[in-house]
Amino acid sequence: MNVAAIFPTDPAAAAAALAQQGNLATDALQGVLPAGVPWWMITLGGAGLGFAAIMGFVTVMSMFSIWLERKVAGHIQVRLGPMRVGGWHGWAQSIADGVKLLLKEDIVILGADKVLFKLAPALVLGTALATFVALPFGPGAMIADVDLGVYFIIAISSVTTIGIIMAGWGSNNKWSVYGAMREAAQVASYEIPFGLSLMPPVIYYGSFSLRAATEAQAGWGGLHWYIFDPLTFWVAIPSFVLFFVSILAETKRAPFDLPESESELVAGFHTEYSGIRFSFFFLEEYAAMFVMSGVGAAFWFGGWNFPGLSLLEGSPVLHSLAAVGVFTVKSMLLVFVMMWVRWTVPRLRIDQVMTLGYKYLTPLTLICVFAAALAEYLKS
Amino acid sequence: MTLLEKDRAPVSASRHYWRNVFQTVKSTAVGMGITFKYLWSKPVTVQYPDEKLPTDERYRGIHYLEQDLCICCDACAKACPIDCIEMDATRQGKELDWHSFTLDYQKCMFCELCVYPCPKDCIHMGKEYALVTEDRGTLVLDLLGWKGLTEEQKVRIADAEAKKAAKAAAKKTKDAAAPPAAPAAPEVPEAPAAPDGDEEA
Repeated sequence: MNVAAIFPTDPAAAAAALAQQGNLATDALQGVLPAGVPWWMITLGGAGLGFAAIMGFVTVMSMFSIWLERKVAGHIQVRLGPMRVGGWHGWAQSIADGVKLLLKEDIVILGADKVLFKLAPALVLGTALATFVALPFGPGAMIADVDLGVYFIIAISSVTTIGIIMAGWGSNNKWSVYGAMREAAQVASYEIPFGLSLMPPVIYYGSFSLRAATEAQAGWGGLHWYIFDPLTFWVAIPSFVLFFVSILAETKRAPFDLPESESELVAGFHTEYSGIRFSFFFLEEYAAMFVMSGVGAAFWFGGWNFPGLSLLEGSPVLHSLAAVGVFTVKSMLLVFVMMWVRWTVPRLRIDQVMTLGYKYLTPLTLICVFAAALAEYLKS
Repeated sequence: MTLLEKDRAPVSASRHYWRNVFQTVKSTAVGMGITFKYLWSKPVTVQYPDEKLPTDERYRGIHYLEQDLCICCDACAKACPIDCIEMDATRQGKELDWHSFTLDYQKCMFCELCVYPCPKDCIHMGKEYALVTEDRGTLVLDLLGWKGLTEEQKVRIADAEAKKAAKAAAKKTKDAAAPPAAPAAPEVPEAPAAPDGDEEA
């Protein structure tokens, strides 16, 4: 992509570029605003709308996930979890916690590297929010239809690691640095099986685009998902399992939560953080879980496709909303499985994490990639 | 899940590798099955202040007093090893006018020694245990259900008074009726004579 394509000066090229973006927010703005508004204003406005939408969605989704996590943890341990705040099963617990975190003192410790310390939460949350741009929520309900959607998500979510290393280093605390180093080691090693486990579906769809992948699974009245395809399910299921283990490690979820293992490292990289800065790391964890689960839902479980959804095609807005609902529910189900794993499996040691990553996941994902290629060869 | 002998038997490296993969997947699946079962089981915890777990039959909690039986004999207070029981009542004839019966739960160690000496078996260890407060002064509890005299007691006192008055009146009338018969009964004048004799003595 050259600069002229991103920032066109010619009005016709600008209009073409806007039309090409496939961006719901800019499309809507173009419909509402008068014709004389310059293209960059529309792009900026679209970005603002997109940011507001993502921020609102991530906040609500994270709060719900945190509440759900505590309920799942409680019920797996045969207790109740939050029950008081808000009345029905403590539904407002996360809101109360959020208000508490907002009101708490924001402590920047004396020996901290102030720039890194303050920048880290913003970088971590910002990159987590940026990955939402490429998620295929529904037809027309994508912030941007990125051709290399999965590639974009892998690349941007890796930047989170830099933020976490900044947090660990800037905290001037040995435990924080240990946590950050573990995060770096873990993400660097699991990046390989994570990327490779995404290759079987990419080979199957012949595209990196999450929207193209979703649309390719629209057959059989919305049930022709990759994992149900009779010709390739024998590759799809193992590759999904490997993908799922990799995203657990990528999002620092138990049993791979070594960067913040509270029994050894106090709280790992966020030991020194309090108040709203801590809550940024918290939001990032749940945002990253949702994004990774969303990629899994889009590639293996049909994205927004579901039987009966095509009945709504008459009204685009209703269809879009229903599609967003289906995609969110599918992703949240995978998030639930991540919680379920967390409260089942004990944390691994760092050497066990490395063994699993290099000795088991990497070769097995490579085998899956070859199997997927073989399946495509046999089909053609 | 314990590892069986055959799972630990030495095998070739490649078989060992695949056995590890298989065992990891299997044991994780078994574990997730167990937690999934627990996820839908009924929680064993209760919502404490709203519902409480049943206490033991012999549980020693906050005392309760059967005030209508109590005779204010101080036996429990004397038995108390840390002197946390105090009681105060005024006697109105046979009835007790209760002022206070306090237990200081800052001191009380729930030893049950106050229960045994009670001659009327009217102080017991209860089942209540939550003594949560922001002010220690509120831990001195008064076990009285009522203070002063009850209506019942007042009626009983009034009855007793009336009975006494009736008795006295009956005696008076008897005395009043006696003089005409005085000559006939020589012992009656003797009765007033006895005090006279005492005075003289």
